[in-house]
Amino acid sequence: MPQKRRPNPLRAAFTGPHDIGRTPPGWALMGLILLGFLLYPATASAFSATNVAYYLLNIPMALGLSLLWGYGGILSFGQVAFFAVAGYVYGVVAGNMTADPTLGSILGILAGLGAAGLLALIFGYFIFYARVAAWIVPILTLVLALLLSTFLGLTAGSAWKVGDVALGGYNGMNIPSLQIGNFIFQDYAFYYLTVATVVLCFIGLRIRVNSHRGQVLIALREDPLRTELLGYDVRLEQLVAFVIAAVLSGISGLLYVTWGNYITPSVTSLAQASLPVIWVAVGGRDSLFAVMILTFLLNQLTYVLSSAGNQYALIITGVLLVAVMLFAPEGLIPRLIELGRKALRLKEAT
Amino acid sequence: MAEIVSLLYQFGTNAAFLLLAALGLIVILGMMNIINLAHGEFMMLGAYAASAAVHRGLPFPLAVLLSAVAVGVFGIVLERLVVRHFYGRELGALVVTWGISLILSQGTLIAFGPFMAPIAIPGGALTVGVYSFSTYWLFLMAICVVLLAGLGWLYKATEFGLQARATMQNAAMARALGIRVERVYMITFGLGSALAGLSGALLAPTTSIAPFMGQQFVAPAFITVVVGGGASVIGGAIGSSSLLSLVETPVSFLMGSFWGSIALLVTALVLIRILPNGVSSLRLRRRTRGARG
Amino acid sequence: MPDPAKTILHAIGLQKRFGGVVAARDVDFALTEGELRCVIGPNGAGKSTFFALLAGIQPPDAGRIELEGEDITRLKPFQRVRKGLGLTFQTNRTFHAMTLRQNLDTAGRGGEEPAPFRAALTAFGLDRGLDRPVTALAHHERQWLEICMALRGRPSVLLLDEPTAGMSPVETRRTSDVLRELNSGGLSIIVVEHDIAFVRATAQMVTVLHQGAIFAEGTMAEITAREDVRAIYLGKVREETA
Repeated sequence: MPQKRRPNPLRAAFTGPHDIGRTPPGWALMGLILLGFLLYPATASAFSATNVAYYLLNIPMALGLSLLWGYGGILSFGQVAFFAVAGYVYGVVAGNMTADPTLGSILGILAGLGAAGLLALIFGYFIFYARVAAWIVPILTLVLALLLSTFLGLTAGSAWKVGDVALGGYNGMNIPSLQIGNFIFQDYAFYYLTVATVVLCFIGLRIRVNSHRGQVLIALREDPLRTELLGYDVRLEQLVAFVIAAVLSGISGLLYVTWGNYITPSVTSLAQASLPVIWVAVGGRDSLFAVMILTFLLNQLTYVLSSAGNQYALIITGVLLVAVMLFAPEGLIPRLIELGRKALRLKEAT
Repeated sequence: MAEIVSLLYQFGTNAAFLLLAALGLIVILGMMNIINLAHGEFMMLGAYAASAAVHRGLPFPLAVLLSAVAVGVFGIVLERLVVRHFYGRELGALVVTWGISLILSQGTLIAFGPFMAPIAIPGGALTVGVYSFSTYWLFLMAICVVLLAGLGWLYKATEFGLQARATMQNAAMARALGIRVERVYMITFGLGSALAGLSGALLAPTTSIAPFMGQQFVAPAFITVVVGGGASVIGGAIGSSSLLSLVETPVSFLMGSFWGSIALLVTALVLIRILPNGVSSLRLRRRTRGARG
Repeated sequence: MPDPAKTILHAIGLQKRFGGVVAARDVDFALTEGELRCVIGPNGAGKSTFFALLAGIQPPDAGRIELEGEDITRLKPFQRVRKGLGLTFQTNRTFHAMTLRQNLDTAGRGGEEPAPFRAALTAFGLDRGLDRPVTALAHHERQWLEICMALRGRPSVLLLDEPTAGMSPVETRRTSDVLRELNSGGLSIIVVEHDIAFVRATAQMVTVLHQGAIFAEGTMAEITAREDVRAIYLGKVREETA
């Protein structure tokens, strides 16, 4: 009987049905990966650790899109808009409070995430309460990202100064690091902060998708009208998922600006906007775990390619996306697992 | 008097731009329920083809036609290779065509470099009072009318149009009636691509030709499509492009083109809140209301 | 205990047109508490529209709907469900990518499971193998699962749209038995149906729809005795008899 279970949320995060890796071998693998990341700085220079932190910092944004698209069936092409908003707002707030860096960091984080969430709330209200067709959401979110990029590009003049901080147009904006007291999050500290954030986002989302609300989100991906006729406000459920995903993008945005101490309008350009979709689609959109792993690997790949001055980076990711959509639409990692299982079964049979 | 003419001209220019930018997209969406996110890159290819042809000495009109045909053929090849696997999966189609757009724009950059030699605007200028108007834009407005009339004829009066409309309404039923649905889709995608190529070639003299020029069409084209809705392809296109131009023209005039784009987005958000199925649903709605009363 | 003097669901003067077609014409319909009513009619009689109007999927052009005395005409479908309407669809709409358990969990989780829900699960034999995917179920079992899902939300009125479509006579019979069992436990039920055998086995009261209007209402015996009702079912109705 489905009755007596009222599972505790943390247990559900690791045993719930809505992701791969919910059995002891899966946990062991996750534990090993985490252990690897925790021990990595022991063998690596601060420079390498900072680079690895960069490959990791987009994971919250990717996880948010996985929740939205993979679990909720709502595709957004504009996650970078929330990434940029959080980054810029943090920069303005923290940049104006350099006299008290601790307070500046804290208020900057709150304001950045709040602004990303608020933008999603307003934008999402118009979209979801209009009950638009599924294809309209990605289009409008993409337009939002592009217009934001255009707008930020126009902010070069001295008129675009908020307090002491100039938005800077395409020259970009300088942004202070996260700082608590005299402790500045950089090098190894920033690395560990990023790892901890990623782990928290992952576990939080695993709890979410395996909770009742997650079940409802999956249900409305399958059949929105049926879900509504079970008594759920489809519009509200979609809006909430949209805001969560936006805040997660904001978290990535905050990590990004405090990593490089710099942001430009290009973070919300068309090419950047395509990246989260690529990570999530290639990894396997309805698996948080797969998305997390693939986001790390693909970020590393594009970083290595583009820092080598290789102009084929975008083409390679584009071809990868088209190939995966054609030949493994469920994503690379779920497909590999399926192939692995088949091979095992074949072995047992012979 | 001259001010009114000038404002009308501005309005016409904006509407013609929106319509040209969106037409190929609208044909494919309306008939196949597929969004081609590589639409801007198809326009870019049209502009490149036209520019290359003109610089090899071809007359501009011939270059434009050639570009339309070339991009149309390219679209059909892409439909056979990739797009046809995504019928019925509209989000999948969006994502895969986005991948194609990345490959096309970056590939063009690698193959042809960051700039392409521009094409001079054909035709001269007309002066009314203190204002002067480009005859080329007047020509583009006329082209829009011709294209819309041509599409209307194609879908209302020809055998293909009948088959396409049947397929649009109920693909399974159309198939049962012996219509070759796959062929209808292929031709429709080719037609939409050719229209994108044509628009790209026509707009090429008015803008700088570059690998990423497709991006400038993305926002206006998609907003036009979103506002137009899918119910009636041509009606939606006309309604949406003129309505949006009505908003954009004064805002751009007073505050600059960026705020014009913002006005487009805000209008789109408000309109879909009121009319989730687009402007084209207005006509249907009025029809049922009339019947009720 | 249900109070048979109390009207639990009340539709007053419902109107709905689609273009030139009148799909609902002055429909006045009252369900008393604890009643099991079947709504029948030939194809195109307006049964689907009647269901859609009660469920809130279509707004009526005119008229009013009350649930337990409260006006729900303007409420959206999910709000009506929260007010106590339980619904199933004519075509099977369980969540195909999920297990039975997940389907049931989606319908509601936490709190105590309502007694009718548990009773129906057991009676339909769906209380075992909850971790099977729903696609492992036969067609009729999925229909039953949908009824159970509707019951999970503790409805005061259960509204079923052709629940036995595509079922064998044995399965139809079992559906009828379970519905009557639920009804004798006090649940008010409306079944929109065109299978006369099912209606005969199930209904206390029958409402006959024809051309969007209520054509007749009464016990099964009264209804089947009427020549004009038989005529519309045989497709012989003429304007003068209507």
